[in-house]
Amino acid sequence: MNKTREIRVRELKKDIPKIAKSMCDTMLVDLEKARRPVLEAVKCSLDNSFYNAKVGYLTPGEKKVKTELNVSSVQKMARTIFVLEILLNNLSASVVNNKREIYYIAKGLIRSSMHLKPLDFDDQNESDSIIDFICDMLEVYREEMNCFANDRGGQTYSKQLVVTEHLSDGTSAVVDLGQMGTTPFQPKNRPQSFKLKGKGKIEFCLVIESEGTANTLVANGMHTRHPCIIIGAQGVPSNGVRGWCKSIQDQLKVPMYFYGDLDAYTLQNIFRTLKAGSAASLIRNSDFSAPDVRFLGVLPEDVKQYDLHCYNVNEKDPVEMRSLKKAKDTLENDPFFQDKKNKKLADILRWLIKEKKRCEQQAVFSVDPKDPLILEKVIIEKIKKGIFI
Amino acid sequence: MSKITSSSTAEYFAKNLQQVGFSSPTKAVLTTLKEAVDNALDACEEANILPELTVSIQKLGNGSSRNTDLIEIIVEDNGPGIELEDLPKVFGEYLASSKFGRGRCSRGQQGIGISAATTWAQLTNATGVKVISKTKSMRKAVTATVDVDIKGNRGLLKNKETIEWDRPHGIRVDFRIDGRIQLNGDGGLLTYLEGTTLVNPHLTLHYKLLDENMVHVERVSDSVPEIPPSTLPHPHTMKLGEFMTHAALFGKITLENFIKKGFSRVTDQTIKAMVAKGLPRNNLNRSLAQISEEEFKKIFQVIQETELVNPSTKSVLTVGEEGLAKSIHRLGEVDFFSVVTRKPTICDHKPVVVEAAIARFLTRGDPDTPVQLLRFANRVPLQFDKGACAITRAVESVNWRAYGLMQPKDSLPQGPFVFAVSVTSPFIKFKNASKETIDGGEDLIEEIRRTLMQAGQKLSRHIRAEDKAADLERKLQHIEKFGPILVEGLARIVGATKSREERAEEGLKKLLGREASDAEKAMSDAEVKLKSMQDKEKRKFGSEVFEGKIFEKKSEGIGDVESNENEA
Ligand SMILES: Nc1ncnc2c1ncn2[C@@H]1O[C@H](COP(=O)(O)OP(=O)(O)OP(=O)(O)O)[C@@H](O)[C@H]1O
Ligand SMILES: [Mg+2]
Repeated sequence: MNKTREIRVRELKKDIPKIAKSMCDTMLVDLEKARRPVLEAVKCSLDNSFYNAKVGYLTPGEKKVKTELNVSSVQKMARTIFVLEILLNNLSASVVNNKREIYYIAKGLIRSSMHLKPLDFDDQNESDSIIDFICDMLEVYREEMNCFANDRGGQTYSKQLVVTEHLSDGTSAVVDLGQMGTTPFQPKNRPQSFKLKGKGKIEFCLVIESEGTANTLVANGMHTRHPCIIIGAQGVPSNGVRGWCKSIQDQLKVPMYFYGDLDAYTLQNIFRTLKAGSAASLIRNSDFSAPDVRFLGVLPEDVKQYDLHCYNVNEKDPVEMRSLKKAKDTLENDPFFQDKKNKKLADILRWLIKEKKRCEQQAVFSVDPKDPLILEKVIIEKIKKGIFI
Repeated sequence: MSKITSSSTAEYFAKNLQQVGFSSPTKAVLTTLKEAVDNALDACEEANILPELTVSIQKLGNGSSRNTDLIEIIVEDNGPGIELEDLPKVFGEYLASSKFGRGRCSRGQQGIGISAATTWAQLTNATGVKVISKTKSMRKAVTATVDVDIKGNRGLLKNKETIEWDRPHGIRVDFRIDGRIQLNGDGGLLTYLEGTTLVNPHLTLHYKLLDENMVHVERVSDSVPEIPPSTLPHPHTMKLGEFMTHAALFGKITLENFIKKGFSRVTDQTIKAMVAKGLPRNNLNRSLAQISEEEFKKIFQVIQETELVNPSTKSVLTVGEEGLAKSIHRLGEVDFFSVVTRKPTICDHKPVVVEAAIARFLTRGDPDTPVQLLRFANRVPLQFDKGACAITRAVESVNWRAYGLMQPKDSLPQGPFVFAVSVTSPFIKFKNASKETIDGGEDLIEEIRRTLMQAGQKLSRHIRAEDKAADLERKLQHIEKFGPILVEGLARIVGATKSREERAEEGLKKLLGREASDAEKAMSDAEVKLKSMQDKEKRKFGSEVFEGKIFEKKSEGIGDVESNENEA
């Protein structure tokens, strides 16, 4: 493959191959001197997460996980260096792979060389965690190591949005979403590198938890009546969705709203990840979160206002009870919900814990069963009246 | 009090045989074998004879009821034999036992066992038990068939003959019953025989089951266990019903005499204390026969409330650590073992002693299945209703992982182990008449736990030494396998010279070698500890016993082809 212009997620000041090489050199020198090499990576967990409302996303603290060479860790170290070599080769050849493919590439190499046999991975989880460790150690994004996940979600509809993508062969592709009818545009790989433009004014961007519901709004013509962007998140936002929302926020500067279920899972796992990233991705949150996104609903006050049907949390269902328990932990430990800027979001968690109720995003359809546009109307009304958090 | 007549006793048992171990065809065979063997062992012990038993169990054809076979069970012993006039009593009459309520650690306790087997034979095969008996004083042996006269609770002697029998004394019983044969597993015949072998080091046993070869198990101890003198029951060990049954044995004596003579630890002093607690003084001189059930209840309550000295522990009997250590080698090739005999103690007001033998075998069990748990009460294997037994509960409550065994939560540990736990007590409490599970109070369970933990500690020395050896092996392998790959990978990424690579490999070996030598040290420490324990036990049991050497040879016969069956 020709070496061509690199497409980047961010303006990275780091030269990854150089950093990797120097790290390996340090390890080798240590070994030559019979010292124990130590690998250090950012500790990616809630207890090392910090939140500053001005920054807007979770950032890492000082804590590191150290892996010192010893009899027990020698396996992990050998595997790390082995996978690192595969990734560096991909970088220098400008080819990409996803995690599953890397798993098979590793297995293939091991099979072809008898003495590597001890490294063999029993399943993909094992190679995945080595890849994550390498990224945390070098403090780079997986995407920057040319390793992509098969990102789901992010189906996007708009009459105004035009996306320009510069391709690695030097050409570029221009996609006018207004020409796509009901077919969604779906960002992949490095949405942060897209150039976005609006044909005319775009009033807002709406991220819907359920991709099915996003599609209903579009099929019923919401985007033809209102100049907007509609995105289906499809559950917990993938890296692709997170990077995509970040680009829309930064480049188009339109208000962004999230609409999903009123329950602890949506709030903690889906909305928080979209807005401020996650503890597992501390080193990536800056480019994989959209801090300006607002929580449009479903809000507890909507339940009252529109008399929405709720489910009681089933106290016998261990999954539902665990999620409530997790909500309590979150209030105690999650710096995002503890920040006073997000007090209203924390209040929703408290409401959920107290009421032991949950309300689904589709419940609005029972407000006026004869009106197919009822959800669109409620959403527009809430945006107009400023009923969001 | 309502009087139980002997005839109604027999009728009662004939109708309720399922309660005394005849609840299924397989259980019927096991129970019959067990009653005969237990009796033989008891009789030998009483007569101070080293027991030599021969057992044969064969299928003769179809049984009379559906899904059963006609099974022949023969048990022959070299015990004292039974006088002719006693034969109908022993085999055909209920509650005629010499041991009933005597407070001894004998296997038999109730006087039901063997007559129930005769009844079962009669009910299913229309004839009772065929017996040969010879006592020292008989010139020739007698043979006869004993039937049960259920209506009259009597044994009936038929086909009496005198015959030549080339034994100085002994009994041979021959039962033919409807049943089914199960050899292995908790309720198996082989399990019973192995268990009996284990807790009777002084037993020589020959057995032939179905078409299998004759198996010979030689005794590993030449001393007959001395049965301690019997002890009277302690009032606090009884329930009201038992108290009243006990009273019935004493006939017309006064209440005061009954309390004094019928129990241990009751003195004039304690009688006074009972009166102080509210026992009506005028009752003391009344005959038991005049006292109503209602009054008995009150008397019983007062006695329970009165403080008494605990019963003496002199009446309990043990197999002993040495006996267990020797005997366990008779079950198979032992990898290592640990035995513990506790001192006699009082649990729930009863004297008891708990013993445990744990062994890992090379030839039986496997790593992923629960250990084989053998339970014993007064040296009788308990083979049913495992879950409800105090012994099982105690085993499950110990944290075996602390001793290096695998154990799913609240379950038996796993591995190729036999866990044998024996509880001996003159007043053992069973949950039911078929004597299958020990009904244990908290005291007893705690005592069993302690025994097991002590055995577990000894065991862990072996397991720890093994684990350390495995750890060292794993570490050495890790260093050998991953070290070179790591260095190679680094050198390739950096583009290092061959000499750098070699230097790094040297360095890595040095680094990890240090850890390997630490592991080596840990292993040798564990081995030293194990050795010192082994030396101590060798001194205790003798080194051959400890290593199982002398028994390997003798137990060779197990499962081997019988070479010369007619040899004396
Ligand atoms: N093989 C034997 N040799 C000598 N005496 C025996 C033999 N079998 C039984 N006896 C005598 O017969 C008595 C009755 O035996 P039986 O099995 O009915 O009662 P047990 O053993 O005392 O109690 P259990 O009902 O608990 O077995 C014994 O107590 C013993 O004195
Ligand atoms: Mg008996």
